[in-house]
Amino acid sequence: MLGMPLSRRLRLISATVAAALLALMATATASAIQPGGITDEARKMNDLFWIVTIAGLVVFVLVGAALVYAMIRYRRQGDELPPQFHGGGKIEVAMVGVPVLIVIALFTISMITLVDIDDPAEEDALTVEITGFQFSWQFSYSMADLGTNTDPNADPEDRINIIGTLQPIDTPDDEIRPVLYLPVDEEVEFILISNDVIHSFYVKDFLYKLDLIPGRVNSFAVTPRVTGDYSAQCAELCGTNHALMRFIVRVVERDEFDAWVAAEAARQLGDDALVSSPGTQGD
Amino acid sequence: MATVAVPQLSGYHRPAVLDWIMTVDHKRLGILYLYFTLFFFAVGGILALLVRTQLAVADNSFVGNDAYNQIFTMHASAMLFLFIIPVWAGFGNYLVPLQIGAADMAFPRINALSFWMLPPAGILMFAGFIVDGGAADGGWTAYSPLAQQTGVGMDMWIIAVIVLGMSSTIGAANFLVTMFRMRAPGMTMFRMPIFCWTMLVTALLQLLATPVLAAALVMLFIDRNYGGQFFDPNGGGNVVLWQNVFWFYSHPAVYIMILPGMGIISEILPVFSRKPLFGYKAFVFATIGIGGLGFSVWAHHMFTTGSVLLPFFGFMTFMIGVPTGVKIFNWLGTLWGGSISFPTPMLFAIGFVSMFLIGGINGTYSAAVPVDFALHDTYFVVAHIHYVLFGGSVFAVFGGLYYWFPKIWGRQLNERLGKLHFALMFVGFNVAFFPMHMLGLDGMPRRIAVYADSAGWEALNMLSTGGAFLIAVSMIPFLIAVVMAFMRPKDQPDDPWEANTLEWATTSPPPDYNFDSLPPVRSERPLFDARHGDEEQGH
Ligand code: HEM
Ligand SMILES: [Cu+2]
Ligand SMILES: [Cu+2]
Repeated sequence: MLGMPLSRRLRLISATVAAALLALMATATASAIQPGGITDEARKMNDLFWIVTIAGLVVFVLVGAALVYAMIRYRRQGDELPPQFHGGGKIEVAMVGVPVLIVIALFTISMITLVDIDDPAEEDALTVEITGFQFSWQFSYSMADLGTNTDPNADPEDRINIIGTLQPIDTPDDEIRPVLYLPVDEEVEFILISNDVIHSFYVKDFLYKLDLIPGRVNSFAVTPRVTGDYSAQCAELCGTNHALMRFIVRVVERDEFDAWVAAEAARQLGDDALVSSPGTQGD
Repeated sequence: MATVAVPQLSGYHRPAVLDWIMTVDHKRLGILYLYFTLFFFAVGGILALLVRTQLAVADNSFVGNDAYNQIFTMHASAMLFLFIIPVWAGFGNYLVPLQIGAADMAFPRINALSFWMLPPAGILMFAGFIVDGGAADGGWTAYSPLAQQTGVGMDMWIIAVIVLGMSSTIGAANFLVTMFRMRAPGMTMFRMPIFCWTMLVTALLQLLATPVLAAALVMLFIDRNYGGQFFDPNGGGNVVLWQNVFWFYSHPAVYIMILPGMGIISEILPVFSRKPLFGYKAFVFATIGIGGLGFSVWAHHMFTTGSVLLPFFGFMTFMIGVPTGVKIFNWLGTLWGGSISFPTPMLFAIGFVSMFLIGGINGTYSAAVPVDFALHDTYFVVAHIHYVLFGGSVFAVFGGLYYWFPKIWGRQLNERLGKLHFALMFVGFNVAFFPMHMLGLDGMPRRIAVYADSAGWEALNMLSTGGAFLIAVSMIPFLIAVVMAFMRPKDQPDDPWEANTLEWATTSPPPDYNFDSLPPVRSERPLFDARHGDEEQGH
């Protein structure tokens, strides 16, 4: 580089600086937007997110640097006409080939992830029926379908239903209703139903959403791995108070979940519904 | 013998207004289209500022939830149906006949009809604001069954969109016939200016896709008003059917909204690099490829409905990246080895390339199906839409305006003001829309009228709103430049930019009949050939 004429050195330096700056900016934003996720499925999607991001960053930095370089290196310096190059030949093959390789690679990786996260729920997984309505949610659990701790004698008709109501936007987080209780480390299957308009069941920390569609039943399964409260809300425009269709996902340890079930069952179904449910022995 | 007073034809002048209303001249209609669409760009922009003001802070009650839904719906409807789609018809009307060396469009009266369908439709759509129940508020996508619930403003919206669709369908037929039948001697298809090519593919898409939208809208209208059950599951209808039919139109429509913009910058980049477009034929085939693939990806807007063949639509969506990537190479290759100057049109063209690059990259996130599950219907998608339609299409609109202003109005727009306009808009655009990526990843859904303080979205929203107002400020130097230009006499030569295509071979502005004589057309750059004759090297 030292042997080059000054102007050429400057050009190279400025293009390198531009590329470095672009790379820096891009990585800074990329790391500021880490999507995260708390389920097995979300972690796989998070990995895919990073693969797409890295591919995108490489393309962005290369094309961006080439653009900046060309603008500096080839700026007009006189009236002389530059060579009138029309393209063609090998370059045009590369023009098609490079994008084909990139998209096929990304497509293949996405499909692998898709198959991975899409497998159907285990037979004995906890099932929650989610109904969206203008403008809140109902979460419905069958006593005969509570996952690992289900009482074999429970009546499938016995359900506990958690029904939300419209709440103002300034409701403090710990008062937001309804709350969706889930046991940690266990697979849960959601059955999604709507009887009015389309809603979308969106839990940011699942990195997942699926629509609730009148006339159609959708379902998906996840395994949450981290206990805690996660705020969530409807993601499909459903009318005036769409923005208020919020709810909380509360992932708790199994015994806490059982205690909650017992309490709700006692409240909603009366004592006979829970004779031998293991988490509720004391009642 | 009595003498009869014969009216003197030469002494009769129609009032200028009537002249404009009755005109069938493609140039005047083109100008009318431009005025009309830029007016609705301003209207849509004001609605956008209302949206951004409402979202600037958490828990805001600047506009209510109902009003918010109307405002963002009408923002998108104005921007798409009343601005960006017809603005290309404006550029196309003015330029296509000139660029192919014709005296007018093939069907001048039909051309006038296409334009005059727009104002009643625009008025009808916006009159929704004064009727009971307000304007349409189901989003520009009007998903059923929500679209069955709202007031008469929705019916007005449906009719308006049908009329706008008819306008663009007959306009498309007109463009196609004009380009197929009326090219100057020597202008083979592969010597047609690249902007014409993009208009041609756009017209094909309009002709094939828009009637599908009209059918869907008629079904929706029947469902709403006469108890039809096309989209009502209780009567055997299907909710997702609406989405399939709607997106069968609206994904190709995305290309209807961007391809002519690509054409415009592919005229500008070669002129100010003083080189031909790199890979002209590759560009044409890529445009056709995008148009064709555009019909097989519609369901990528529906991945989260659970009723989509995910691998197929994921694959086709990724494939669109190929012709798009080809175009990025076309533009880079055009700059490479050139002799580049940076007047305002060129700045907007380069702005387009860089912003569209981002819009292409953030689009791949939604093509990767599992990632789309997270990002669909969040602000990430709002960022994507605007990087394509604003960073892309709108930058091309302004690039085109600065570039052809001397031709259309015979005057130059002030360069300094133009550069200031570009700088403010470029910065404002990125400040307004880049933070939306982060908001989307942080879980902020689109189309929400309010968000809670505890969501932690306020800072980025405030930033975004600041950027939106900076975009609004950027229009001030533009307007000053326009006013200043109109205060000056028409002083522009035929070809102020040393350009390539036939519109620059006539006076600025051109006479009614367009050309006194045409230079021979032996390549896609007849004016370059005329200027440089044999000296051209490296052909
Ligand atoms: C003046 C600058 C603009 C600003 C500040 C702006 C802002 C916004 C915002 C914040 C939204 C999201 C609203 C919501 O989901 O609640 C939105 C939606 C949208 N905008 Fe813009 N926008 C601008 C220009 C444009 C332009 C030029 C176009 C098209 C040519 C456009 C097309 C759209 C579309 C299609 C939507 C989606 C609406 C829907 O969800 O139904 N915008 N805009
Ligand atoms: Cu909703
Ligand atoms: Cu699409």
